[in-house]
Amino acid sequence: MTLVTDGSPEAPPRAPAAARLATAGYRYGLLVVLVAVTVFFGAARSSFATYDNLLIVLQSVAIVAIVALGVTVSMTAGGFDLSVGANVSFVVMVTALAMVRFDLTGATAIGIGLLAGLLVAGVNALLVVVAGVPDLIATLGTMFLFQGLALIITSGQSVSAGMTIGGRPAPGRYTSGFTWFGSGTVASVPVPVIVMALLAVVAYVFLNNTRWGRALYAIGGNAQAARLAGIRVGRYRALAYAVSGLCAAVGGILLSARLGRGDVGAGDPYLMQAVAAALIGFAVLGANRPNVVGTAVGALFIGVVINGLTMLNAPYYTQTFVQGALLVVSLVTSFTLTPGRRR
Amino acid sequence: MEVTPVVSVSGLSKRYGATWALRDVSLEIAPGEVLGLIGVNGAGKSTLIKILSGVTRPTGGEIRVDGTPVDLRDPLRAQEAGLQTVHQDIDAGVVSGADVAANLTLDALAPGRSGVFVSRDRTRAAARAIAEAARLDVPLDAPVESLPAGVRQQIVIARVLSRRPRVLILDEPTSALSAAEIRVLIAMVRRLAADGVAVLYVSHRLSEIQELCDRVAVLRDGAIRRVFATPVEGPRLVEAMLGGEVGALTHEVRDGGEPVLRATGLRTRPGAAPLDLTVRAGEVVGVTGLVGSGKTELLEQLYGARPLVSGALDLDGRPYRPRDPGAAAAAGVAFVAEEREAQAVLPGWSVRAHVTLPRLRDHSRIGLLSRRSESAAARRVIEVFGVRGPGPEAEIGALSGGNQQKVVVGRWLEGRCRLLLLDEPFRGVDVGARADIARRIRERAGALGVVIASSDPQEVLQVADRVIVLHDGVRTGEVSAADASADRLATLMAGGADEGGGT
Repeated sequence: MTLVTDGSPEAPPRAPAAARLATAGYRYGLLVVLVAVTVFFGAARSSFATYDNLLIVLQSVAIVAIVALGVTVSMTAGGFDLSVGANVSFVVMVTALAMVRFDLTGATAIGIGLLAGLLVAGVNALLVVVAGVPDLIATLGTMFLFQGLALIITSGQSVSAGMTIGGRPAPGRYTSGFTWFGSGTVASVPVPVIVMALLAVVAYVFLNNTRWGRALYAIGGNAQAARLAGIRVGRYRALAYAVSGLCAAVGGILLSARLGRGDVGAGDPYLMQAVAAALIGFAVLGANRPNVVGTAVGALFIGVVINGLTMLNAPYYTQTFVQGALLVVSLVTSFTLTPGRRR
Repeated sequence: MEVTPVVSVSGLSKRYGATWALRDVSLEIAPGEVLGLIGVNGAGKSTLIKILSGVTRPTGGEIRVDGTPVDLRDPLRAQEAGLQTVHQDIDAGVVSGADVAANLTLDALAPGRSGVFVSRDRTRAAARAIAEAARLDVPLDAPVESLPAGVRQQIVIARVLSRRPRVLILDEPTSALSAAEIRVLIAMVRRLAADGVAVLYVSHRLSEIQELCDRVAVLRDGAIRRVFATPVEGPRLVEAMLGGEVGALTHEVRDGGEPVLRATGLRTRPGAAPLDLTVRAGEVVGVTGLVGSGKTELLEQLYGARPLVSGALDLDGRPYRPRDPGAAAAAGVAFVAEEREAQAVLPGWSVRAHVTLPRLRDHSRIGLLSRRSESAAARRVIEVFGVRGPGPEAEIGALSGGNQQKVVVGRWLEGRCRLLLLDEPFRGVDVGARADIARRIRERAGALGVVIASSDPQEVLQVADRVIVLHDGVRTGEVSAADASADRLATLMAGGADEGGGT
């Protein structure tokens, strides 16, 4: 077989130094910054660069990362799941109610939690695929819907063992098997970190090595081209929301287990962090599209920065700003520095 | 003519890279004259309109308005010079969500034309004046999106007229209009011309051109080939558009074997006359007709990409009714869409990923994709179709248009394919790649049926065994490739009846 290069514009012989620098910055910039920040914190505080602190950082971002994996999958198909935070909150409440109010086992609570996550995904799929509502506003609606539903099923109150329901104390409590998922460890590694690692590997293989992942990326890249290549776009978009809903449900179960109670709105803040992690991930290795490695790096980045700032005694209220700055820099990296964005 | 032309264009050229989109184009329009402009896709119509509306600047040449040279360096200059363009896409010209009055008075929002506040009364008064001047009879408070396409277009035209145009350029104004709306538009154009406005009327529809225009200029390959004075016969226009000669056939005409697809009672669009279509294994059926004649509509229905208007299909003797392209692809039907950029190419993806996209299942086990199987398929397509480029992992964008098209066509022949539907497969494809694709299609046609649609009958004749001609959604005839003549095809494409017989 002979492959003839017909001198088309693929590889210009030597790009100018500035352009090469921009390309390098685009691909590796974020990783370089992550390493630099880590080195800086390590130099400033000797307790930072230790194995124990690594586990603390990982534990602090485990749930965010899991939820962010779901957001990443929803984004690959060109969607955007804004309901994940409400989903986490809803699952926290549902699992708490299952054990505390209805005295069910931890395993049942997990099953119900996963079903609750799928229910949220089902509403998303219905709105986006069947009703044709644009992703962003459909999932915004779902977000409100399930934030509200979580309040209704608990009469607006937190759910904890010993609470009174209709004048009588609630019959059940969190089982120790269930709380193990939040605070247990395996060989000193916290369970949420293990779950995160497993799900990250599964999500990576799913998106990069299966035909379903390929189809999702095709839809995100050019939905019309995907449809005309015979891909059932509607089904895949529903699948993407199902995966996103399940990831949020797993996050909700882990959060519920860690809290040991059902706090109102406990999962809501996870939306912004998860979306930020997924978007920061666009800038990792010049992917410029949702990707699992990038999302993991994005979540880790957020964890490292918050942990390091806390060690340097920066006030907690600076954290949001720092995360915002991180996100904005990443967005500029992936949307503005893109090689080939020359006019 | 002794009258000074309102607009005169001389020696106008436009070059994009190595290709000339326009070459030494000269034309003039007198006051009150309607000049028609026709040409096939890529003939240079859009480029000419873009230059006259100030969107792009010419490489060379001169434009005069009322005898004075003008420099149309941006759309505002063009408007100030009196050249007003109504573009094909009606909805790009109206602001939906606003009412008729607001849409008619949009110009007043330009800087320096009004105060800070928009007053409802003043807007309505201004709008009423504009509507009356254009004899537009629409409630001023109606939301534009509630109005039919024809009325929305009249609003756009009314607004344009309020700028007192010297020349009105209408770019395919009837492509989204119903027959009744077209009558209204034609009457309006006539009235304007009677008022002394010069009109440049660009259309694919011969009947309108023949009815409305005083003269017709035919563009082909960037140059004006003929200027006809009306009345002119349709076939003469089509011949001038297509460039006459039908080359000698380079392939042997085949009859085909068992029917692969049998379609009865198909319609290109609701209301069009039904047509039957049989495609046999081993034959290549060409479909030709001017832009808007219903080729794409026909092919997309066969592929499930748009709902079947009417009729029944069967594939290999079994009823076939695809709900969506996925169902069609699963049944062994393949489709290459008209717009490669928008409908087939995934930016940043490799050749390999493009090749395997329609048949991911064949390249995976329990869902896991096999890179080796994918690469092998990509290499086969590269080899069979002679794709020139750096190999299976090359980004599709690094390939030339012709090589991209080889990938997009070739990928369907990797695996089970019974019926191959190609919509304008040679558009933006160089001559060499064209010949390669045509040859491969003929080679592979032994086992499958092929339908190839193009508005250029010469492209179709390069591969087809017989050619079906459509005009305005209706089949006007069928010609065997062996005895197709330019004259006959032109007659059929212009809507003439098929006297030649021979199906």
